[in-house]
Amino acid sequence: MTPTLYTHVLDAECYKVRLLAALLGLPLDCVAVDSYPGEETRSEAFLALAPAGTLPVLEAGGLVLCGAPAILTWLAATGDVTEGWMPQDPAPRAQMQMWLGFSQRLSATAGAARLEAMFDMPAPEGALAAAEACLRELELHLAIRAVDDGAWLVGDHPCIADIACFADVALCPDAGLLHDEFPFLRHWLYRLRALPGFLPMPGIHPLHELRAG
Amino acid sequence: MSREHALDDWYPVADTVLPQIRATRLLDTDLSVAWDGETASVTGPDGTAYPAEIRFDHVWTCLGPAPRPLFGIEEADQPGRRRVPCGGVRVRCSPLRAVENFLDIAHFPYVHTGILGAEPHTEVFPYEVKIREEVDEVWATKVSFYQPQAAKSAGGATDIRYEYRVPHPMAAVLYKTCPPRPSEWDVIAIFVQPVSETVCIAWPWMALFDDTSSQAELVQFQQEIFLQDRSILENQIPAGLPLDPRMEIPTRADLTSVAYRRWLKRRGALYGALTEAE
Amino acid sequence: MTTFPVALAHDLPPGRVQRAFAGGRDLVLWRSASGRAMAWDNRCPHRGMRLSHGFVRGERLACLYHGWQYGTEAACAHIPAHPDLAPPATIRAAAYDLAEAGGVIWVADEGYADPPDMPLAVMPLRSLTFRCDLATLAWACGLEPAPLLFLPEHPSLVIAPNPLGPDRTEAHVLTAPLHAADRIAAIHQTEALRRLAEEAAG
Ligand code: FES
Repeated sequence: MTPTLYTHVLDAECYKVRLLAALLGLPLDCVAVDSYPGEETRSEAFLALAPAGTLPVLEAGGLVLCGAPAILTWLAATGDVTEGWMPQDPAPRAQMQMWLGFSQRLSATAGAARLEAMFDMPAPEGALAAAEACLRELELHLAIRAVDDGAWLVGDHPCIADIACFADVALCPDAGLLHDEFPFLRHWLYRLRALPGFLPMPGIHPLHELRAG
Repeated sequence: MSREHALDDWYPVADTVLPQIRATRLLDTDLSVAWDGETASVTGPDGTAYPAEIRFDHVWTCLGPAPRPLFGIEEADQPGRRRVPCGGVRVRCSPLRAVENFLDIAHFPYVHTGILGAEPHTEVFPYEVKIREEVDEVWATKVSFYQPQAAKSAGGATDIRYEYRVPHPMAAVLYKTCPPRPSEWDVIAIFVQPVSETVCIAWPWMALFDDTSSQAELVQFQQEIFLQDRSILENQIPAGLPLDPRMEIPTRADLTSVAYRRWLKRRGALYGALTEAE
Repeated sequence: MTTFPVALAHDLPPGRVQRAFAGGRDLVLWRSASGRAMAWDNRCPHRGMRLSHGFVRGERLACLYHGWQYGTEAACAHIPAHPDLAPPATIRAAAYDLAEAGGVIWVADEGYADPPDMPLAVMPLRSLTFRCDLATLAWACGLEPAPLLFLPEHPSLVIAPNPLGPDRTEAHVLTAPLHAADRIAAIHQTEALRRLAEEAAG
């Protein structure tokens, strides 16, 4: 049975789920929720589904999952026949968990700054500076990974933490925080965008160079 | 100078989707806008009450002493149409750049790939542009373009016909083939709130025939498209709209933009414009 | 100074495009499929879009907005809205002289690029931006500002600094050939240098 995803087209958290599903070739039944401007996530019906009143929400059979990290984990566990997206060995698995945690920091800083820049939704004080500190941290990690030709956050295959971090990093320019000074980040973003099945979103355009002219 | 001219036009400062009190800015002036579901009020920082008018699901106000009449859109009240206010989106660009982008079709294959355009269908066929003197509006007619998914209600790729209308320096209306009702036009508009000369809030709005899509789907179809434009608009330099023909190079595909720029100049609507080469 | 280090050559592979800065100019820096690097004004002559958002197809750079394509001589070669039209020769991007030397891309804001003599056998390490001026960056290295900074405390590190303004300086860092563990240590040294410089800058 195809899982149902409650989603908003401009929401970075929802995008993470749609992106992984696209890369894995998994179909989703997407239900648009009018979180902006209609504040449908505050409606009784939505709160009964997701008490936190936030997107994304995934429903599959009787299972209801809220939040990108949980949904990414479930999608990879049930839908990834290659098992590349979720390492099983203890060390890389824990590292993946570490970067999933980092992705939450990104969405609390870069993600919040973006919503303020686009929709005037107030972000916590200092969100943009904290987002920049996150980008520096990620850049350092990728620079060190590159010494041994590591192209992804963990191991030699992109994992769900790459997806979880990708969305907010790629969308930083929406908040005026640019990628210019982070070459390793830019290469990592490019590699992700070049994956077969990649799904763009407003603010992350497709790689036109990869299409026939 | 340019601000003075702009003061006498009406601008959107909030939508009427939900009751709200909103702090915002218009033409470099801070405003508080209150909408309780029935009436709206607009107040300046010194307590000045400005006129508030509800039209096209938005609260409009005018800061100047001699308001020019606000344009109408006949289709807004046509029975059977669904009106879709899409929320405001802040963009760091001149309000005039936002309108000009709305009038542009040549960018569809690159910016709205797979929705409003796709390579190799990039050619812009000749169309007609004129300033309709009797109403003092810019009109572009007989515009057509190949579109992979022209509307939420469109089943697949079609050749779509367009007419564009600019009734206000900071608003534009698009009449577009309506897939479920070939005899009618879908109406899509952009109303722009000039925050300053280089920052604006765009309020996309639609009046459509579509009996199958949910409101959320319609809103998000349009939001997706406008947000694709936003990353372009924030990267055009200079931020202001150049009116000096030497500063940018148009082609035949840009006739609407050329007419729009001329019309702005002739009207003296220069807020957000650059009149001399840098 | 009229020749500026704008990027490590290694960070600009064929077919890629990025933004760069030289002496207050906003530039698009790109490398064609055959490997030729170019630096132009970061502004499309059509409607002013930053070309650094564009994409490379073969030996041409295309603008993201309406897809106008520019060849390696910076002249417009194709306008997709009018596929049968030969674009007038007057439509062109402003190009700057560029040289690749010692693993660094150098751009002249006017005239010809004249890179300093680079040490032999250096390897690219990383580019990073300091939130301080060039003098503070040099101070953190224990040096006076110069086109190349050879770090006295870390003999294997060389920095090509690119001043972007009073609160921003790019550092393009190279090293002697090192083992992996030492390269990682060198990366951490660049972080420490940046912390020192930025604390001093306040
Ligand atoms: S602005 Fe570059 S092609 Fe139009």
